[in-house]
Amino acid sequence: MAVFKDTDHLYETLGGFWKFLYDNDAFSGALKKADLTIKFEISDPAAVIWVSPDGIEFGEKSAKADVTMRLSADTCHAYWKKDISLPVALAKRKIVSKGNIAKVMKLLPVVKPAYEFYPQYMAKHGL
Amino acid sequence: MAYDYTDLQQGDQIAYTEDHEDLKKSVRKFVAEVIRPASIELDKMSPDDVVKKDSPYWQCMRQMHELGYHTIFIPEEYGGIGLDALGLHIFFEEMAFGSIGLAVACGVDVFPTFFAAMILPEFPELEDSILRPYVADKDCSMLGCWAITEPEHGSDILTPFQAHFHNPKISHQLVGKRDGDDWILNGQKAAWVSNGTTATMALLFFGTDRSMGLAGGGIAIADLEEKGVSRGKPLDKIGQRDLPQGEIYFDDVRVSKDRVVCDHEAYENMTDLVLGAANAHMAIMCLGGARAAFEETLRYSRERIQGGKALCEHQDVQRKLADMFIKIEAGRQLSRNVMSFNLYNFPPMTGYSMTSKVFCSNMAFDVAQQAVQIFGGNGLSKEYLIEKLFRDITSTRIEDGSNESLTLAIGHDILFGEKPY
Repeated sequence: MAVFKDTDHLYETLGGFWKFLYDNDAFSGALKKADLTIKFEISDPAAVIWVSPDGIEFGEKSAKADVTMRLSADTCHAYWKKDISLPVALAKRKIVSKGNIAKVMKLLPVVKPAYEFYPQYMAKHGL
Repeated sequence: MAYDYTDLQQGDQIAYTEDHEDLKKSVRKFVAEVIRPASIELDKMSPDDVVKKDSPYWQCMRQMHELGYHTIFIPEEYGGIGLDALGLHIFFEEMAFGSIGLAVACGVDVFPTFFAAMILPEFPELEDSILRPYVADKDCSMLGCWAITEPEHGSDILTPFQAHFHNPKISHQLVGKRDGDDWILNGQKAAWVSNGTTATMALLFFGTDRSMGLAGGGIAIADLEEKGVSRGKPLDKIGQRDLPQGEIYFDDVRVSKDRVVCDHEAYENMTDLVLGAANAHMAIMCLGGARAAFEETLRYSRERIQGGKALCEHQDVQRKLADMFIKIEAGRQLSRNVMSFNLYNFPPMTGYSMTSKVFCSNMAFDVAQQAVQIFGGNGLSKEYLIEKLFRDITSTRIEDGSNESLTLAIGHDILFGEKPY
């Protein structure tokens, strides 16, 4: 069974989690310093999340991403829960990325605490 | 059925900036002052002397660490240099211009740490145990290698997604057995492991399930200073004698779960991903070697008098030089495009990395062969550098997968790959 019921549910939970991350100065500061825009093209349910120095936005828009990641909603969930690692997800084609993945790795130090917090955040939303 | 090629221009096209120019100048200076002279000296030494702690090999590796060259793949946020795809291309072309062997030694050094950085979210303790100490290392007390080939497995272990990879009769000689969450390793890696006799850690490929053939494997970041690890005799080779290579033996060596990048679930795909990166880089090493042979020949042709005039004034020599130049330029464009595309697209188009490696190593061999022809009898003499460059380049058609095997894999990829042509 899919983790997220539908697109609205995904935006509310996973999208909310990204907004929570962005509200952290260390994370938004790192995004601004890297001048990095990431577009997540999510399937099952279909959704688009933009993570950029300007904030977190949902849905298609005419902007250019530095890195685009195509993945399922369940893979998103598994990644944050540390059930699947980035290299394994990339190798197994669970994440298809376009753009400089090294730029994304720049964010890893600042998102480190988020991995610990993710299960709590999702538990609050019944996941 | 519509046929189409992959347009490599879809990769991020990186503008050439002043930073790239500065990088080229600084690496070129280091290569001229340190790498090339050391490489010439090491070429004349015995393999045992090359790995001695006071040898030019160690002096070079230490200086690379002092300059931070071991961190070119590590993001700045972790203290690394973190070059972009174009920067990496420039870096390795210049390094290989000085020495293909030492450029390879520098390239494989970072393998274990790069993968440690990739799995940090799962195993954050790797930041303090591997990543930060490696980045800070200035005296080369941490040195990496890529340990994949085995005495009975060379190119076959590098080429996944083919029938042989799933044949249960063909399996790893380094075998892991589960012990709780850990793995216990027994067996050996081939004499062809670059930095194999000198490295303190390895990105190590090992067997996990014989019934799956070579696809039944795992990848670990292994500590080579663990009890039970021993080394073979440094290999005596025709070329790239400045690159220490030798067997690594494992006798009941424990690898804990926080050092395991993947098991058989993702092993085949991960091998493909690593090959895609390795071949894209190997192509650049070949390009650097070819340019070294070309420039050496160009200089010689201006100095050497034959038939009453400088060699370069002979029309046939001019034709040969032009032919070499054309091949090198084509190799640079292909290897840059493949590098830009495959470094920024996951999963990479490994068929293109193999294409680049095969093309550039064949190109380098052709260039080196023509260079020796222009040198004439002097080209056969150890007195002239071109003789060494020819031997160094010869190895590239075999290392990182023999060109014959890789070409078969390209054919398989064209016909039956993920995106058939």
